[in-house]
Amino acid sequence: MLQSKSFVRKTKQGKVVKVVREHYLRDDIYCGASICKVCDSSTARLSPSASTILILDTNVVLNQIDLLENPAIDDVVVLSVVLEEVKNKNISVYNRLRTLCSNSMRKFFVFSNEYHKDTYVKQMAGESPNDRNDRAIRVATQWYQSHLGAAARVLLITNDRENKRKATEEGISAETVESYVKALGQPGLLDLLVQPAPEDVGMEEVEDLRPSKRKVIYSEHKPMSEITSGLHRGIYHQGKLRVNRYNPFEAYVGSESIGDEIIIYGRGNMNRAFDGDVVAVELLPQDQWQEEKSLSIADEEDEEEEDVHLVPSSADDAPRNTDLAQGSVGGTKAVLCRPSGRVVGIIKRNWHSYCGSLEPMPMPAGNGGIAHALFVSKDRRIPKIRIQTRQLGNLLDKRIIVAVDSWDCLSRYPSGHYVRTIGEIGDRDTESEVVLIENDINSRPFSLQVLACLPPLPWSVSSEDLANPCRLDLRHVCVFSVDPPGCKDIDDALHCTTLPNGNFEVGVHIADVTNFVHPGTPLDDEAAQRGTSVYLVERRIDMLPKPLTEDICSLRSDVERLAFSVIWEMTPQAEIISTKYTKSIIKSCAALSYIEAQARMDDSRLMDPLTMDLRNMNALAKVMRLRRIERGALTLASAEVKFQIDTETHDPLDIGMYQIREANQMVEEFMLAANVSVAEKILKHFPLCSLLRRHPSPTREMLEPLLRTAAAVGLNLDVSSSKALADSLDHAVGDDPYFNKLIRILATRCMTQAVYFCSGDLSPPEFHHYGLAAPLYTHFTSPIRRYADVIVHRLLAASLGLYKLPTIFQDNAQLTSTADNLNYRHRNAQMAGRASVELHTLIYFRKRPTDTEARIVKIRSNGFIVFVPKYGIEGPVYLTPRGEKGGGEWVVDEQQQKVKKMDGSISYSVLQTVMIHMEVVEPQPNRPKLELALICR
Amino acid sequence: MEFVSPEGLRLDGRRPMEMRQIRGEIGAVAKADGSAFFEMGNTKVIAAVYGPREVENRSQQISDQALVRCEYTMANFSTGDRMRKPKGDRRSTEISLVIRQTMEACILTHLMPRSQIDIFVQVLQADGGTRSACINAATLALADAGIPMRDLVTSCSAGYLNSTPLLDLNYVEDSAGGPDVTVGILPKLDKVTLLQMDAKLPMDIFENVMQLAIEGCKAIANYIREVLLENTKQLEYRRGP
Amino acid sequence: MVGLSVGEKHFIQGGIAQDLRTDGRRRLTYRPFNVETGVIPQANGSARVRLGGTDVIASVKAELGKPSPSQPDKGKVNIYVDCSPTAAPMFEGRGGEELSTELSGALQHCLLGGKSGAGAGIDLSSLVVVEGKVCWDLYIDGLVVSSDGNLLDALGAAIKAALTNTGIPKVEVAVGASGDGLPEVDISDDEYLQFDTSGVPVIVTLTKVGRHYIVDATLEEESQMSSAVSVSVSGQGRICGLIKRGGAGLDPSVILDMISVAKHVSEQLMNKLDSEISAAEAFEEES
Repeated sequence: MLQSKSFVRKTKQGKVVKVVREHYLRDDIYCGASICKVCDSSTARLSPSASTILILDTNVVLNQIDLLENPAIDDVVVLSVVLEEVKNKNISVYNRLRTLCSNSMRKFFVFSNEYHKDTYVKQMAGESPNDRNDRAIRVATQWYQSHLGAAARVLLITNDRENKRKATEEGISAETVESYVKALGQPGLLDLLVQPAPEDVGMEEVEDLRPSKRKVIYSEHKPMSEITSGLHRGIYHQGKLRVNRYNPFEAYVGSESIGDEIIIYGRGNMNRAFDGDVVAVELLPQDQWQEEKSLSIADEEDEEEEDVHLVPSSADDAPRNTDLAQGSVGGTKAVLCRPSGRVVGIIKRNWHSYCGSLEPMPMPAGNGGIAHALFVSKDRRIPKIRIQTRQLGNLLDKRIIVAVDSWDCLSRYPSGHYVRTIGEIGDRDTESEVVLIENDINSRPFSLQVLACLPPLPWSVSSEDLANPCRLDLRHVCVFSVDPPGCKDIDDALHCTTLPNGNFEVGVHIADVTNFVHPGTPLDDEAAQRGTSVYLVERRIDMLPKPLTEDICSLRSDVERLAFSVIWEMTPQAEIISTKYTKSIIKSCAALSYIEAQARMDDSRLMDPLTMDLRNMNALAKVMRLRRIERGALTLASAEVKFQIDTETHDPLDIGMYQIREANQMVEEFMLAANVSVAEKILKHFPLCSLLRRHPSPTREMLEPLLRTAAAVGLNLDVSSSKALADSLDHAVGDDPYFNKLIRILATRCMTQAVYFCSGDLSPPEFHHYGLAAPLYTHFTSPIRRYADVIVHRLLAASLGLYKLPTIFQDNAQLTSTADNLNYRHRNAQMAGRASVELHTLIYFRKRPTDTEARIVKIRSNGFIVFVPKYGIEGPVYLTPRGEKGGGEWVVDEQQQKVKKMDGSISYSVLQTVMIHMEVVEPQPNRPKLELALICR
Repeated sequence: MEFVSPEGLRLDGRRPMEMRQIRGEIGAVAKADGSAFFEMGNTKVIAAVYGPREVENRSQQISDQALVRCEYTMANFSTGDRMRKPKGDRRSTEISLVIRQTMEACILTHLMPRSQIDIFVQVLQADGGTRSACINAATLALADAGIPMRDLVTSCSAGYLNSTPLLDLNYVEDSAGGPDVTVGILPKLDKVTLLQMDAKLPMDIFENVMQLAIEGCKAIANYIREVLLENTKQLEYRRGP
Repeated sequence: MVGLSVGEKHFIQGGIAQDLRTDGRRRLTYRPFNVETGVIPQANGSARVRLGGTDVIASVKAELGKPSPSQPDKGKVNIYVDCSPTAAPMFEGRGGEELSTELSGALQHCLLGGKSGAGAGIDLSSLVVVEGKVCWDLYIDGLVVSSDGNLLDALGAAIKAALTNTGIPKVEVAVGASGDGLPEVDISDDEYLQFDTSGVPVIVTLTKVGRHYIVDATLEEESQMSSAVSVSVSGQGRICGLIKRGGAGLDPSVILDMISVAKHVSEQLMNKLDSEISAAEAFEEES
């Protein structure tokens, strides 16, 4: 079976080491064509009717992956040499290609030519690795042609001129992508093509439409060798570039070598780097570090004004505080001296495809239908992208996806190509899809493999479950659930009974999802990948398939369900005497909504057992809540809004602030308690591989905007600890009732988000949850919609000895990356949720221009930012028309946080109440936006 | 890192259940009583056996059985980056011990009381699985020296990467940090005499991995038997009719 | 180590006196030998030489280093020899150290010339990448796998073969990155630097047994020697190094005589070795 051959490879690892790897050549690698009579065709992927089989050169895969993803291209053989090259050059293209190869709908076959005895080629003396790989591709193509004979034509697609020439010489049929696609006769496909670089063939077909006098706009990137030696000698610094979400002309590079963030101002200094690129940065001379003062957003020619957006719910959502005022308040001069730099080279590109629309432009005359257009990404961090299209008229009012190909230093914008159309701009479905794509959310239906993991329906508790000694039968206990109205995926239920000794037995019952989702199954992999359910205004994207979330796992009333329970014995003072963890069977006697539960508790005539239980629980919850607040837990306010959606059109009918009742707080209190109890249990058993959730304390710098605003209204906040902050928030009472809530909302946006982590990665003091003032916390209570809870369920089950721990927990690196993925997915889900609310706010106001009250939260040189409590949004109000640059008439008083008219007649100060008018306007066709305007008193 | 491609091939082109190419040769050291050369892919070792002979250090003599000693050494050039290997470092001592115990278990030591048998193994090139290769070489050398044994001992390793059990890990796979199960068996008696593993592995997977390693040992045993048979034929031929 | 009876001793000595040695050779004939190159793929060059029952392996590894300040225009070469316990139980543990050191020293003398680097078999200046900053350091490792006498000659031949087999990657120095510290170097993937090994001498050891001297003594014959002279002779017939071992004193005229005999024998040996090496190289290319 083994055909062996060893060969020599060389690598460099600082030291020169000769590496020797064996390389076995085989005779059991098949061609994948189902028409082939010689090969084992059980693994064949290519269609039997294929008249032409395509073999791709590496450059084609690297540049034209968008084209390959189009179903028009099929019956493709992917050589392992090509896969390997693609993997080394661009991992994301590699992953997309791999997805194509494993997609059963597509006919992409991987041929391991490097291991086939007839197609393996050895590097010849004087032959570069590149030339060797090209030769390997040709040899494999030739092998296919002679292997399949007349049954099919084998066509090499290459854009490498040299490779094409040699192929033709050797009698292989070869074509460029352009000519192949042209021959297919689908003009739409041509837009998907990447503009060929000058050294490739086919250049003569593309005329340069740009002005002939091209100036150098950006400085040349330094060659890699110089970058490496520069990094080595400490004159350059390496890091990932992050562009400010709210100001795309400002970016940060976290550098380990100087232990601080380097700020990069302006596109010129960013030098063609995209958000997420790994770059090499050179520090500017220290006297240029204060450039931030002079360089405001408005100086750049293609300024975009700030949009109306939702109130940030944490520091991560909020604009970075780059306010001009920063230096003068509190005398923190150090802030000014943040090092600033410029990008000298890009070590690793993070280019992918982007969602957006074309900049409105007139239809070009003639020109064979080819137009050059500018694409504006929805993500403001991304610069405009120049594309070529033959269907301009079609695309102008559409949301489209565009991929970046290159960015020449002569060109102001990067160039890219059209990938696909999502739909019409402003259309709710289109925009919702944009939200999903932007946030990397997989909304595809579950695959058959995933659905195959579900238990057959209708499902009911089996006799084995009942007989299982590990499962506590709690069907006789009065268990109930309290959720938002209309909730179908009920993952928690409660009970509370009075014990003879006067204590209470309180149980929290969580849907036993891990009884159905087993590690290593496609279902589990999919859930792990999705990480969380995503709640948009009009729809929900589930982490698990519907039969599980809404039926089998959902703890609905009057049906027997499996649960994982935490049961405490508590004194009437809510002191926990004992904690029991067990799998259980429950039968919920009522699925209440918050409103119903609240009504029952409030109605003093009701004395039925359920209501009594509710009241007992509520009493306990109040004690627990008080104790938690005394410990220093923060009660922060959020400006969450709730839409009423028309069931027919799915258009929003009404919006309003989300009302929080005692019943909500009661359920929340017990969920927190359960999470804390579980966190303690799993950490005790698995100190190194528990999944916990922590909330880092905010730094002084992050709280700066809050302190500044508070100082301006004469309020002194103590932020030395969460307890101190909570107390001073309690004492922050102004003359109007909303003042306190407003301060809390401002405080909320200064906090970072809580994150999941693996307990082995950090030391116990770092486990602390700042917001809850808890030393330990995790997520246990929502396994239907959060994968973290699924992991925690497994940990808890293992700590009870019910199951053994899945293998992933033995691999710290894997667990850490799982936690990272969960954080990423959670953050994206949140962003998507917010974007969806913003979208619906826009749709709502489209037909309803409104006057309302707003509060000033930040002062700007030409106006201020207001917060609209009723709708939970904030946005800019301009005092001077845009374009006049705010000069002259208005002056900003930094100390007082005020903006005054020159003559002193009118002034606005922070937190002041103003009346505004809200209306959707269309400054450019198809670009609706919400505008806030001051109504003068 | 991907150690098994979706096409089911390992980095060096093997399938998960395949061993590297093995080669064994008897009689590499002229002056030794028995010697052999054994290679598993790029792992190459030489074993030499001296004895049974008089015990050098009288205090070590055992009255009812033979004294078996073993020394494992690695050549300076045996690994990728060259270094001067100090003699008797911890690792060599440990492997020496493992080999000695494994071989001692199959030598009929009671037939050779008050004598000494020395087994020396020299690694010429290391590319994963050196202990297995050493044991296989030592078996051949002992057989060449005509030392009475219960059975052959053969050894092979298996690991678990990318959720796939892999037979006979090479250096790259070995240094991936996954579990590495080294098994030694007495093939005729169907007994495991050596079992080492250096990572956590759930029981059921461990069972599969160990079973795979045992299969590998059996394949090696067949090969070693062939080598011995061929060698005997040669000897017979040289002796003449 | 070699336990010989009086009769055996006489037989060996007598045979040598009559120019018919125990294995049938004459006094100045070598045992048949065999060269294999590229046996250690991980090394930059390697060779295995089998000379009768003697079996040695030599490997050459190249590492980037810094030239010594006294000789900024030359690379460094180090020779180490190890005696594997497989060759003899007495080499077990630290037992082989004495012999290893002796052999290493002798090879250093015979192949590398004096401290100044003059007289070295290979051109040490070809190892320099950036003068005074970067050079290649060659580590030559010899391993005695099996020993049946005449280790020095066998090791010498193996090293010569290994050097012929050696390819060192071409190195390019990044431009502009001069100044302090080590310059950045790029290693080219597919180009190799090959050595001209025609200048590497061969070593001929003449072992004096009784009144006669023989070449290529076996272990048994070595046990009967009174003294031995190893002469390294280059391809041009120049004497590159000389070592006398053994206790008994030699008459200066005898030494001169031995040198001229060694020189004569070396010509045949050199030819044989060169053809063996090229045959081995050709064989390696093929496989």
